[in-house]
Amino acid sequence: MLFRILGKEKFRSLIEVILESNEIIAPKRVGSNASGEPIHQFLPIDAFDEMDLDYRTTEYSAKTYFLPYRENLCSFNLDDGDWQQEISYRIQPRAIIGLRAYDINALLKLDKVFIRNKFPSPYYVSRRENTFIVGLDHDPLEDEFSQSMGTDIVTHGFDLFLTDLGDRYFVAIASDRGFNLLNRVEVREVTDDDTNTYKEVRRRILAGFKTKINVHNLPNLLDLEFTSEVWEKWGKKCLSCGSCAMVCPTCYCYGVNEEVSMDFSKATRVKQLHSCNLLDFAEVAGGHNFRPDQQTRLKYRYYHQHRGFVEDYDEPKCVGCNRCGRVCLAGISPAAVIKDLYEENL
Amino acid sequence: MCALINAYDVRQESEMLQPLDFNRRLRLKQVAKVFKAEISNVIRLTEMEKLFHLRIVDDTDRERFTFLPGQFVMVEVPGYGEVPISISSSTSNKGFIELCIRRAGTVTGALHRARRGAMVGIRGPFGTHFPLKRMKGRSVILVAGGLGLAPLRAPIFHVTENRSDFQDIHILYGTKSPEQLLFDYQYEAWRRIDDVNIQIIVEEPNEAWTGPVGMITKLLDDVKVDPSETFAIVCGPPVMFKFVCQRLSKMGIPMDRMFVSLERRMHCGMGKCCRCNVGSTYTCTDGPVFDYWSVINLKEAI
Amino acid sequence: MKHLKIEQKRPRIAVFDFTGCEGCELQLTNKEENLGAFLNAIEVVCFREASSDEGEDYDIALIDGAITRPDEIERLKAIRKQAKLLVAMGSCACFGGVNKLKNAYDLDEANREVYGDLPKETIPTMAVDEVVPVDLKLPGCPVSKDEIERVVQHLAWDLPLPSYAYPVCVQCKQRYTVCRFDVGELCLGPITRAGCNAPCPAGGLGCWGCRGPAEAPNYEEFFALAKEKGFSEEEINERLSFFGGFEDVLL
Repeated sequence: MLFRILGKEKFRSLIEVILESNEIIAPKRVGSNASGEPIHQFLPIDAFDEMDLDYRTTEYSAKTYFLPYRENLCSFNLDDGDWQQEISYRIQPRAIIGLRAYDINALLKLDKVFIRNKFPSPYYVSRRENTFIVGLDHDPLEDEFSQSMGTDIVTHGFDLFLTDLGDRYFVAIASDRGFNLLNRVEVREVTDDDTNTYKEVRRRILAGFKTKINVHNLPNLLDLEFTSEVWEKWGKKCLSCGSCAMVCPTCYCYGVNEEVSMDFSKATRVKQLHSCNLLDFAEVAGGHNFRPDQQTRLKYRYYHQHRGFVEDYDEPKCVGCNRCGRVCLAGISPAAVIKDLYEENL
Repeated sequence: MCALINAYDVRQESEMLQPLDFNRRLRLKQVAKVFKAEISNVIRLTEMEKLFHLRIVDDTDRERFTFLPGQFVMVEVPGYGEVPISISSSTSNKGFIELCIRRAGTVTGALHRARRGAMVGIRGPFGTHFPLKRMKGRSVILVAGGLGLAPLRAPIFHVTENRSDFQDIHILYGTKSPEQLLFDYQYEAWRRIDDVNIQIIVEEPNEAWTGPVGMITKLLDDVKVDPSETFAIVCGPPVMFKFVCQRLSKMGIPMDRMFVSLERRMHCGMGKCCRCNVGSTYTCTDGPVFDYWSVINLKEAI
Repeated sequence: MKHLKIEQKRPRIAVFDFTGCEGCELQLTNKEENLGAFLNAIEVVCFREASSDEGEDYDIALIDGAITRPDEIERLKAIRKQAKLLVAMGSCACFGGVNKLKNAYDLDEANREVYGDLPKETIPTMAVDEVVPVDLKLPGCPVSKDEIERVVQHLAWDLPLPSYAYPVCVQCKQRYTVCRFDVGELCLGPITRAGCNAPCPAGGLGCWGCRGPAEAPNYEEFFALAKEKGFSEEEINERLSFFGGFEDVLL
């Protein structure tokens, strides 16, 4: 990997260069919560100052820019007994600024499902290839456990990755388009002093991880604890509202249905992100529901995160951002559930 | 009796290496493509089930379409949606595929109302298949319960059309009542094939019924096979294949030589949407055909 | 148009108003961009707000409003006899709606308060299904035109009926709305049926539950968390009783 040093004022020019011709998605402050702390979301910005790179976290992940909540897959023009299918997945190139290492790792996991799978998804490939990603290092949040999930550092899957060294950024360059773009503004080579400062910052970040969870042998433990009362304990609390899956950077389950125009001239196949916690997730034609109760659905979610995905891709699906834990009104957090599984706390 | 460890059959290799996916040969942009197909024929089977003949309209696509017994297609009814349906026809059948469809929901309801000549679509074929090449030279027991005869019909065609490739062939089929028997016009044709043992049983006979009465497992009482030289294919509801497979296990047939086909609601067919997951296994890409060993290792399969 | 060579049906629809603001009926004539196609797909037999026809020969009856007078009971029973399919349209028809707030007061007192010296004949407010069997409920204040369209499509082409088993939270999240609880407000989203596309929380107002309960809502946990976040039983009950959809679960 190539590294360069980018002055902070030059970073502003870089953003402005991109903004000239492309949309930029960046953390933006949208309000405050009840205790006065700022709430941030990844949203389109029109100017450099609209983004807030000092953000702690966003309530929602940026996955929806790759897997939109709602997406038209294709349409059928119906014409008196016959029909023609139209497929479209072109999108305009754009940039996302300020993604955390765990968010980029989340994209790498989605890549495995939607690109490096038997059936690649043209819709995802199109969005992924057309998105320029600038990552940004951060000091860990109190409740984040990305280090336990091995997602606190990232070596690919982005174009540029910045580490804040105070007055300048230490930039990792992972693509030629990142390199080319960087050359539009002034950058300089890395000195020993820069490297030392960078290492220091990384040590500070590492020391900042407060929440650690034990995931040793978790896939087997999940099989062993399939009938554990831990699932009942937490399942009882689950509101089956799907919020966890909606904000999760890697949850990708979806449903497909068709919508028809009132004059029956056009049918559109629509994909909508779903959640395995929602009541109707495993319902089949005729009404049978394979997972009718909260605890089975909650358990299934943990199964997919920490066992099924491991079986398919040799790594858990969870990146440890704890967005699900923060959004859950019932207070269900992965750190607590997994701890209970290990310690058999009932 | 059967050996504790079965000899590894090198003939398995060729099947593992065989490229089989119609879709994988297509370019990325065609993953979402639906092949337009005409309902060229409709055959009423029972009150609830009809057999549809679907003929891909485009000549090139029709020529290129191949599948293996046990695989399914996603049937698209524009406006109504898609449903996964296992292919019921013979792989040697080139012009059209046959799909046995029960009226159960919106899409299948629309199909049942659609008339001959209507245009629908298919994607696929998808999923795993019954490894018939591995079964070559062996005896095969094919067991179906209820609608399970639909996915079983493709392997039945295969073993009957390639009769000399196999030793004994047993076809066992059971339903609740005689009215629910599918493809009843074909039993006689299969029975007349050299050395094919076909047995039909019902649980609740009507006055006209003269055949055996009881559960499907009862038919296994009279099946004598060499378990180390026998494969089984079992299709039907989970309670049915569970009892049948347990019984076959007792007869000494190894669990990795019994194959079942699972059914779930699917939205994509491509290992993405997670709706068909059993535990965390995709029925659409890891299945629908699983050996029984895999099935008992799947949480929530039975 | 003979899609799949299936002959399309043209449902004969009548719309009837009972006690309510008639906003749901107005919804039927909303969404101008496809109103023509909507009206082409159906045959309007009787609809006071949109047509002078007063036919009796209908299959589908759309009921707007709650039942609050004795004569309404008789009229509704007659409609039920004629209709092959009776649809309760909107929160008033489905649950009694805001009209049901009256039931918490003495009937005579309420009558005097509203009508003064000219009292009307009145009875405690009832939802439509408290009087006659209802085939289909479309809750919401007002009813969603999209859902009405889906019902028409179901009747004309056997397309699936709209069904939202899950709560409002899903749709809230899907529009990037900040959770109302985060900003310190009460919201019935976690127990209320989705399908509205969550406009209230997006506009800064916690959900008031106009669409009634989702399928199998987790009341126990919801009440516990609402209290834990500092909302009193009175506040929660006020919300729950507002549209009448939660009257069985009041604290």
